[in-house]
Amino acid sequence: MSRKPYQPSMPANWWLKHPAYRFYMLREATVLPLLFFIGSLLYGLYCLSQGEASWLGWLNWMQQPWVMALNALALLASLFHAFTFFRLFPQVMPLRLGGRTLPASWMVAGQWLGVLLVFLALWWLLGGYHGSN
Amino acid sequence: MKQPDSIPSDKQHLSMTVQRYRPEQDDAPVWQSYQVPYDDSTSVLDALHWIKEQQDSSLAYRWSCRMAICGSCGVMVDGTPKLGCKTFLRDYPKGLKVAALANFPIEKDLIVDMNQFLHHLTALKPYLIGQPSSASEPNRQSPEQVKRYQQFANCINCGLCYSACPQFGLNPEFLGPAAIALAHRYNLDSRDQGKAERQPALNSKNGVWSCTFVGFCSTVCPKGVDPAAAINQGKIVSTMDGVIQWFSPKQLDTTPQEPTS
Amino acid sequence: MAATKRYQRSDEPIWWSLFSAGGVCVAMLIPALIVLLVFGPWLGLLSAEALSYQRMSALLYHPLGVLFIGAVIILPLFHAMHRIHHGLHDLQWAHSSLAKWLCYGSAVLLSLLALGLWLLGVFV
Ligand code: SF4
Ligand code: FES
Repeated sequence: MSRKPYQPSMPANWWLKHPAYRFYMLREATVLPLLFFIGSLLYGLYCLSQGEASWLGWLNWMQQPWVMALNALALLASLFHAFTFFRLFPQVMPLRLGGRTLPASWMVAGQWLGVLLVFLALWWLLGGYHGSN
Repeated sequence: MKQPDSIPSDKQHLSMTVQRYRPEQDDAPVWQSYQVPYDDSTSVLDALHWIKEQQDSSLAYRWSCRMAICGSCGVMVDGTPKLGCKTFLRDYPKGLKVAALANFPIEKDLIVDMNQFLHHLTALKPYLIGQPSSASEPNRQSPEQVKRYQQFANCINCGLCYSACPQFGLNPEFLGPAAIALAHRYNLDSRDQGKAERQPALNSKNGVWSCTFVGFCSTVCPKGVDPAAAINQGKIVSTMDGVIQWFSPKQLDTTPQEPTS
Repeated sequence: MAATKRYQRSDEPIWWSLFSAGGVCVAMLIPALIVLLVFGPWLGLLSAEALSYQRMSALLYHPLGVLFIGAVIILPLFHAMHRIHHGLHDLQWAHSSLAKWLCYGSAVLLSLLALGLWLLGVFV
């Protein structure tokens, strides 16, 4: 008897077909709004190098509703990225302390604590903290 | 012991839609629905048995142990790879769709050709290499040393992770989750000295580097192996291996050859 | 006898390392930076003079400012372009080495642009 195996192929929209794949693609897509924010930073870097008037122009541009909307999206995307990234860390680099593996939930919590500390440090650095006192 | 035909027919029924592919008459898989009786203990495998015995003796599927250890009863249940014997109809009160494992060629109905997976498994030499054997001296291993690889040693070769992996679906040359998890398992074993033989395949494009950490393989694994963790730990190993290679003086080239057909 | 070919070491470790380092930066730094830079003035977290030209150029053009450029622009760029490169493969839009060159090439060029702009500000 001869064989006639059916060879399946991946449909173009495979990533829409399962919640796990949609989640994955959403994670990968977080870099799209991120690119907009990086672009904003590059633009700001250029404006800063061009003098005071140009820098003020950039600060104004950043407050335009559509720029703020896209950067708000970038914020959500970076938080979602952080959520997925922090969960992967204990899988890729399980930390061992005194012969036992650190619980994954501790490592995830530690990383969110890091986000908070970074926020406070940056706030302090930018002068908002003592500036508003 | 429970016989499939012992399921009384006065039970509740639900609709189970099964993917059929009869190579002698079909050019592509087709769906066929059955009303199957079930209770709290009816597994997908029990239901397939019931269909085969009561409705359609031509239905083809694989099974053996009925207790999630032989790894032969893998099927897609509503698009998710599952072991038929470990999945219960009570969790699908609205009915369910059962198909052949994704990403593998279908031989007949729910039976797929797993050769690609087995081929990749062999390429990574999942066995102890260079182990000094002596009848009088057992190879000692401390509980800590066992713990390093134990999780990755639980694989039953069911192939669910290959069906869950879009990178394997897109590129069947990708060595894939279970094979890499087993390679990692032996690389982590204190008794093993085969890392140098496995590393070239793992370092290649179709080794650990085809993985994008979708992570679905670890979700579907019925044995908690977490192949995604193994592959991504393997990326660190492969990176270090590359750095060491970069800084070490040129040696005689003993790179293993990739078998091609 | 089947023909054999040598396993070739992938260059992915380079891109993956940059991607991972960028991923850490995006997760750790970018949320705080967006909140402060985009919504800071609006929420009253930062005063107007906090973001003044004098303060910002003093901060950014400090020699350590280049670390900041690396952490919030360069590494995130490599992070983003790595995901786009693999995304193109996932969507079956592009498999070629041209796509790879374009992805990582643009990350390199934009990184050089960022460094150039920084040097411009520092030295001019
Ligand atoms: S790793 Fe898990 S899902 Fe993959 S073959 Fe082994 S037991 Fe099955
Ligand atoms: S029949 Fe053996 S694992 Fe399901």
